[in-house]
Amino acid sequence: MLNKFLVFIIACILVSGCSNQQQSSSSVKEDVSTAKSTEAEDKSVTLLFSFASKTIDPHQDWMGVRAGIAETLVKIDENLTIKPWLAESWEQKDERTWTFTLREGITFHDGTPVNGEAVKASFERVLSVNDVISSSLKIESMEANGQEITFVTKEVYPAFISELVHTNASITKVDVENISEQPIGTGPFKVVDFISESEIKLEKYADYWDGAAKLDRVTIKFNSDGNVRALALQSGEADLAYHLPPEALDPIESKDNLRVESVSSLRVHFILYNSAKPALQNLKVRKALDLLVNRPVMVNEIMNGHATAASGPFNPSFPFASELEPASYDPAQAEVLLKEAGYEKNEAGKLEKDGKVLQLTLATYQGRPELPLMAQYIQAEAAGLGIDINIVTVENIDSYLWEQQDEWDLATYSNLTAPRGDGGYFFNVAYLPEGSLNPGQINIPEVNELTKQLNATADLQERIALQKKTVAIIQEQLPQSFILHPHIIVGVNERVKNWSPGSEEYYLITNSMDVE
Amino acid sequence: MRRILSIVASRLLQLLIMVSVLSFVTFGLMKFTPGDPIRDLLKVDDVIATKADEEKLKKEYGFDQPILVQYGHWILNVMQFDLGESIISKRPVMEMILSRLPATIALTIGGMVVLFLIAIPFGTLGAAYEARWPDFISRWLAMLGASIPSFWLGLLLIYFFSLKLNLLPVMGKGTLAHFVLPSITLGIAMAPMYIRLLRERLISTLQSSYIEAARARGLSKERILFFHALRGSLIPLITMFGLSIGSLLGGITVIEILFSWPGMGELIVNSVKQRDYPVIQGYILIVGFLVVITNLIVDLLYLVVNPQIKQGKESV
Repeated sequence: MLNKFLVFIIACILVSGCSNQQQSSSSVKEDVSTAKSTEAEDKSVTLLFSFASKTIDPHQDWMGVRAGIAETLVKIDENLTIKPWLAESWEQKDERTWTFTLREGITFHDGTPVNGEAVKASFERVLSVNDVISSSLKIESMEANGQEITFVTKEVYPAFISELVHTNASITKVDVENISEQPIGTGPFKVVDFISESEIKLEKYADYWDGAAKLDRVTIKFNSDGNVRALALQSGEADLAYHLPPEALDPIESKDNLRVESVSSLRVHFILYNSAKPALQNLKVRKALDLLVNRPVMVNEIMNGHATAASGPFNPSFPFASELEPASYDPAQAEVLLKEAGYEKNEAGKLEKDGKVLQLTLATYQGRPELPLMAQYIQAEAAGLGIDINIVTVENIDSYLWEQQDEWDLATYSNLTAPRGDGGYFFNVAYLPEGSLNPGQINIPEVNELTKQLNATADLQERIALQKKTVAIIQEQLPQSFILHPHIIVGVNERVKNWSPGSEEYYLITNSMDVE
Repeated sequence: MRRILSIVASRLLQLLIMVSVLSFVTFGLMKFTPGDPIRDLLKVDDVIATKADEEKLKKEYGFDQPILVQYGHWILNVMQFDLGESIISKRPVMEMILSRLPATIALTIGGMVVLFLIAIPFGTLGAAYEARWPDFISRWLAMLGASIPSFWLGLLLIYFFSLKLNLLPVMGKGTLAHFVLPSITLGIAMAPMYIRLLRERLISTLQSSYIEAARARGLSKERILFFHALRGSLIPLITMFGLSIGSLLGGITVIEILFSWPGMGELIVNSVKQRDYPVIQGYILIVGFLVVITNLIVDLLYLVVNPQIKQGKESV
């Protein structure tokens, strides 16, 4: 009797399993067929992004500009130079006064025209709701006059123009009920629906000032798992998948209808030297360590080729970036330099000076999985010369570097160095002794002096010259060893046309992108 | 009835004590673990800032005050049902959590359906064929399920069902089809201990005197198994569910993130990364509340499912 029961249970499981599959398969097929039938009239694209947005309030979250909902007065173009966007032109009236002339014919998604008053109201809102932007823009007062808006900054502030590129400084309509979910901007797409940290549904804004978008609909979805993003691209659920892990690219590259785009980011991975440590205050020691960094190996082995070797802090496409080739790997020269610095090998084969063995602590973190690997390469290279490197992996690198400043000697670190098309940002935060991104206590008088000059220079060409000069000093003094610029890796379905990823990652959805 | 009321009252008192201890401990722990929301805020935005700007912002958020003062402010607001605002998104924490809660509860229910679809047949098989091959299969499956990490199982399911067979969507929420893979992943992750527990309970029930009596009366094996033994053996499963609701809500996070399921998972993981204290605190409070409420419901269900327990106890 029980045997019958056993057969019955197995049969039930099989039948229920099969029928479930049939049901679901038919429902999915219906979904796909309806999607295809509407495709004839409706051109749509699905983009899959890695960092989920809790809100799409353009003054709080980057997605406002990224998704083509809102726009800023100025933007950075594909050559990474600042150019007009909602503003047609600008003029610096005096050291602290800037006047922008807005384009004619720009309207918000609800049809209201954009004038100086609307822009002023938008800035008033961002200054009150976003403390960080408020402290970085340093606006003292604003005045609107027709299509003109005039800003007066609290101090002489030539970097003001590049700070306006910040996506949170975008222009939105302020008297709107639900800005965090239904913001009204000026971009080529307007919001249909937003589910926090899950998806944004957009449709084209027919009266867009720069020509209506070619696509009718765009969906942006979020998933923080790189492998799932790669699978979603392969299954056709996404047309564009951002930030794919290099190890997941093979099946994508081998498919005819998919391709991989890889563009150098504005980020740099580097080793930060703790300037407070006596051993590292010796330039020869820093130079020797720099010579141990094998950049081609890091690019090819760790990053699978999806990186550009770095010779300085800035992406080589910037006009103010270094034109030098990245330093080459040369352990023999490193050994010579260490000898000159007074280090000799003891019986145990370890380098020592005045009876003290050269032992260094290298801090790293898992947040960017390639950094601990780089730390291990450097540890192995250093061991070859007789330098003991002890790696510590911490959870929160920023807190560790700041709060345990006497514990570490080196750190693998990663920063965006010119996020808004100007290097002034990085010099101020990472090199000035009071900078908020300077846990290594870097303090190079020439760099401080040049940065102060830069902070008072408005002329673009002069700024570029000053920044180049500063970079040259940084390359000489080596307060950090720049390793590589990681690439932004995007998987693209070939049906998407007129689209390529930008280094800045601000303008993901545009009016010109199209599908076949 | 008096018994029910006393259970409810004692549980509510427990809730109050537990939540206040929990909130104090987590508040302290969070402040002592490394991490700083202000630094994260500045770094995320990549703006020019000096240490002085950082200190100024810290002051504005009240992070420069002693922990006890910060805790005091927070708990006073909580007493007025105000969980505060997120540091990062500036939205009310209560609203953020409540808007996610339904999706998490829906997935929990989906997972439970799958769980019972797996646990009841395999647990029963194991007991009915104790120490024979169906029992070994059931044990082997339970071990397999217990040793597969759910993120990996989820990826495998996506690979086969979405990519190879093209049957189900990879991720997101919307149609019933979106429900299938996350529910199966959750159900498989939870099932093993229920399979084993049900098997053990059934075996001991089958040896008890009332089953013996039923056999003596000539009832068929199937009738005894399904109508007498199984019903009594399901009760510990309900208790187990009540006890494991906390760890379930933790485990569901991984699955939600994998499938972009818009529950509380993504919210809490990002908030922990960014040290968004008000959101983390609010989440812990609400999860604590849910655990206590679920256990209360389980206790009440006990009385309903098996009235013998109540009568038996009261007569003693």
